[in-house]
Amino acid sequence: MMTASKTIQTAMESGFMACHDCGYLLDANKVPSDVPLGCPRCNANVHFRKHQSISTTWALIIAAAILFVPANLLPIMRVDFLGSSEYSTIMDGVLFFFHSKEYGIGLIIFVASILVPLFKIVGLSIILLSIKFKWKHGLRHKTAMFRFIEFVGRWSMLDIFVIALMATLVEFGSFTATFAAPAASYFAAVVVCTMIAAHTFDSRLLWDA
Amino acid sequence: MPEWVHLPDKYMASATPYIACPGCDLLLNKIHSSSGRKLFCPRCETVIYQKKTNSITKVLAISTAGLLIYIPAIFMPLLTIHAMGMKQSGSIFDAFLSFYHQQYYLVTILLFLTSILFPLVRLSILFSVSLQLKIRLYSKSLFFLFRTANYLDEWGMVDVYLIALIVSIIKIHKMATLEFDIGFFCFVFLVFMTRATTSALEPEIFWSALDELKQSSTKTIKQ
Repeated sequence: MMTASKTIQTAMESGFMACHDCGYLLDANKVPSDVPLGCPRCNANVHFRKHQSISTTWALIIAAAILFVPANLLPIMRVDFLGSSEYSTIMDGVLFFFHSKEYGIGLIIFVASILVPLFKIVGLSIILLSIKFKWKHGLRHKTAMFRFIEFVGRWSMLDIFVIALMATLVEFGSFTATFAAPAASYFAAVVVCTMIAAHTFDSRLLWDA
Repeated sequence: MPEWVHLPDKYMASATPYIACPGCDLLLNKIHSSSGRKLFCPRCETVIYQKKTNSITKVLAISTAGLLIYIPAIFMPLLTIHAMGMKQSGSIFDAFLSFYHQQYYLVTILLFLTSILFPLVRLSILFSVSLQLKIRLYSKSLFFLFRTANYLDEWGMVDVYLIALIVSIIKIHKMATLEFDIGFFCFVFLVFMTRATTSALEPEIFWSALDELKQSSTKTIKQ
């Protein structure tokens, strides 16, 4: 544990601007306040808080929530077998593993492709609402949840990679072949939106409220 | 592109005995941590600093190894599948091409960036930054490059790809016999090297080393 100053005080309240890229502390009283500033150490754009953080994050979450519907309802993969085509959604893929008694793999796909995007959309909404309505309890848990959302986001790409590999490796002409289906684009868009949303959100805003 | 004023170096003199928590902006006193210990923010429990020994040397060594294995890992076939007297094999690069041929361009771009371009760019940047710190060769672009590498950490997804590869193997092995090719082992090695750069890297050590290099090289020019 590091030691906090006597009374709980943020860098912003004390007139310091922390660079978001390299962590360098800038004395805001000594620099011009009306122009955008570059960090003296790493030259990244520095500001007290990320600009337009809340509205940008809301926009991306709403976009992700809308795209999440076709991503789950439309088929994501097509398997041709001896002339007949079979389409499957993400959930069909999960159930396939459960039926063939591969519970571990089924669970990994379920968590990565359904639970994680859902958790990110709901979790970020809770965080944003709690800033809006100034809910002060459980801030530490909410920060931990945000860190988890940041960390886990990229693992949703799993299903897209599986389809890419299956389409390449299971390619036996007219006998059997695997292809991507329309939901792949929607699903990829959900992953990108939620990952950027986690990036545009500034967790320091939680503690400012 | 937003334009901003680059603050002159005199503001560097205002270096403070404080540090701000990146998670909640709490102002903290800078303290020195013994090796390997993590420092947490007392208010929000975000990890603020973790001392890692020989961070720059380790990153240089690991990124060199990663770059050497990169080409076979991406372009050599991963697996060969035998079914009905036919054979099929493919590499990471072929997997990217398959989406291109199916005309899913958005997914193709994403696949290209996350599995091919970003892992390479990140390793190259870490290699050149840590090498230039070692041989003390300063160039202005180092700061921009290292910032980019930190952003790309999350967007290079070879580790996710490895899990996807394992899932695919489990899917395929029931319906066909498969054989591991050289590309598979190279790819596993690339994933381990990529993860190892992340765990050996402590950004604060790099930032202060870069800053020190900048100060000393500008001084030399003045003399």
